[in-house]
Amino acid sequence: MAATAAFEFRDDAEAPVLALRGDWTVDTIAALEADLRDITERLKPGSVVDVAELGRIDVAGAYLVDRTFRDSAGDKARIAIRGKHDTAMQLLAAARKSAVAPASKPHGEPGLMGFFDRVGRVMGDIGEEIIATVGFFGETLVVLGRVLVNPKRLRWTSIVHIMETAGLNALPIVALLSFFIGMVVAYLGARILGDFGASVFTVELVVFSVLREFGVVITAVLLAGRTNSAFTAEIGAMKMRQEIDAMRVIGIDPMEALVVPRVLAMLIMTPILTFGAMMAGMFGGVMVAWAELGISPAMFFARVSEVVPAQHFWVGMSKAPAFALVLAIIGCRQGLAVGGDVGSLGQRVTSSVVQAIFMVILLDAGFALWFLELDI
Amino acid sequence: MSEDIAIRVRGLVTRFGKQTVHNGLDLDVRRGEILGVVGPSGCGKSVLLREIVGLDPPTAGEIAFPNADAEGRTPSMGVMFQDGALFSTLTVLENVEAPLREHTHISADLRSEIASLKLSMAGLDAESHHKRPSQISGGMRKRAAVARALALDPELLFLDEPTAGLDPISAEKFDRMTEELARSLGLTVFLVTHDLDTLHAICDRVAVLYKGKVAALGTIPEITADADGWVKDYFSGPRGRAAGRGAAGG
Repeated sequence: MAATAAFEFRDDAEAPVLALRGDWTVDTIAALEADLRDITERLKPGSVVDVAELGRIDVAGAYLVDRTFRDSAGDKARIAIRGKHDTAMQLLAAARKSAVAPASKPHGEPGLMGFFDRVGRVMGDIGEEIIATVGFFGETLVVLGRVLVNPKRLRWTSIVHIMETAGLNALPIVALLSFFIGMVVAYLGARILGDFGASVFTVELVVFSVLREFGVVITAVLLAGRTNSAFTAEIGAMKMRQEIDAMRVIGIDPMEALVVPRVLAMLIMTPILTFGAMMAGMFGGVMVAWAELGISPAMFFARVSEVVPAQHFWVGMSKAPAFALVLAIIGCRQGLAVGGDVGSLGQRVTSSVVQAIFMVILLDAGFALWFLELDI
Repeated sequence: MSEDIAIRVRGLVTRFGKQTVHNGLDLDVRRGEILGVVGPSGCGKSVLLREIVGLDPPTAGEIAFPNADAEGRTPSMGVMFQDGALFSTLTVLENVEAPLREHTHISADLRSEIASLKLSMAGLDAESHHKRPSQISGGMRKRAAVARALALDPELLFLDEPTAGLDPISAEKFDRMTEELARSLGLTVFLVTHDLDTLHAICDRVAVLYKGKVAALGTIPEITADADGWVKDYFSGPRGRAAGRGAAGG
């Protein structure tokens, strides 16, 4: 349908003439660019554009003609037009009027300096992030304290709702994962301890590891992926839609309305989920011990109550509130730090999950050292 | 009378569940005109726009482009959405380049030059070209959105509430830009608005949507001459009169 764009360049007696043929539109001009560059030098001031045989033309086409002239004859050169083509005259004028030199793109430092520059910036960002998170932690504790002293300010509807969506709804997946982990540990025990003829110690291996570590860590990592991202995305979306600003203007403290209920809901639900994870993990161990080693569930639990002191259970449970606090605070802070655009929402959700998992593992290592030193 | 019709809508019906938005709506948009579409909130102005550009299917009725159909092609369209709808992960310049990148084989240099030209036509200076949409003001976002709508030199330009949320001075500048672009590029503009000043200043004709139909269509003097009911209230309320005086005096 569209006629191909073409041009002919000839030196007439009085001036060089650029005759345009066919349609010069955004779809057709791609091929012409290089050819036009070639004739740029031969165009002189006073050259003529012949539009008599021109078909359709659009802004892109007009721009290309105008640019060719400006490159050869300078920015001020008028284009003499031969032939009659209303659109072409209009568009050539419009293109000339709005022509701008493209802004140069801001570039970072190249090469090695750029690399150091970026590393330095990242380090600075990490530092700022740590300070901001610790600051937010303190702020949350203050607001939490204020609300607990004055319990009428607690938003129970919100707390219970979050307990359900972020806590109770996570129970099946937490239990299932923990069950498999318990099975895996029991298999390892049956295999390795069996080589020493000590396969009965599989019971201790499963119960120690599930009660002290796996129950609570699996729960926390799962919540970091499931609940933290939800907190960040929810609060971040509210931030983007200015709902947080609206709250502030109305006189609702977002810390009190959004952060405190999430922190409290997590503080209540994480120990419950951890308990569920411990039970499911031990159940996984029981299944494997029964099937592989012939230790019946009754024997398994008899041995547990005989050789495993209750303190291991409490070691695991004592970590749950600490993890809950860290998870909720990181999730909420990242949500409140979302900026105006979609990119920052994605980036904040990512940071939220990464930081949460990192902190869970780090805290767990700290707890392990601490309990070791205390001989618990 | 053979008119040069760019968009022809016949017997358009739109229903959402039990709610009827358009009930046998007829409308002709002439080529090269700026048509202002007004009506009370919720009368289906934006829905009509979405149906014409093909984003939503109408329940019944026909939407045709006689001009383009006669030549056996679909007309090229550019749409400016109410809040700009710029891609937030791209810079302003990249936003305008996006349609060019997708649909043409122009070299990268020429592409960014054409995009710069479009932005400059829409009244954005070079400083803002490499900023992200979240870093520029609402008015500038609207201008960038117009530049993107014009990237492929469409015949039909659809503007959804172009001056909503702009201060009067920016709104007036925006109107003037729209008119200048429309006249110099020979565009047909379908402009959904609530802004009476825009109607008076740049629209060749105005279509009033009311109760699912076009209640009035014509130049503002034609419409107000035999107006009644909602149309009369709209144009001869205090705001309507003020805008009319402004247009007549200025």
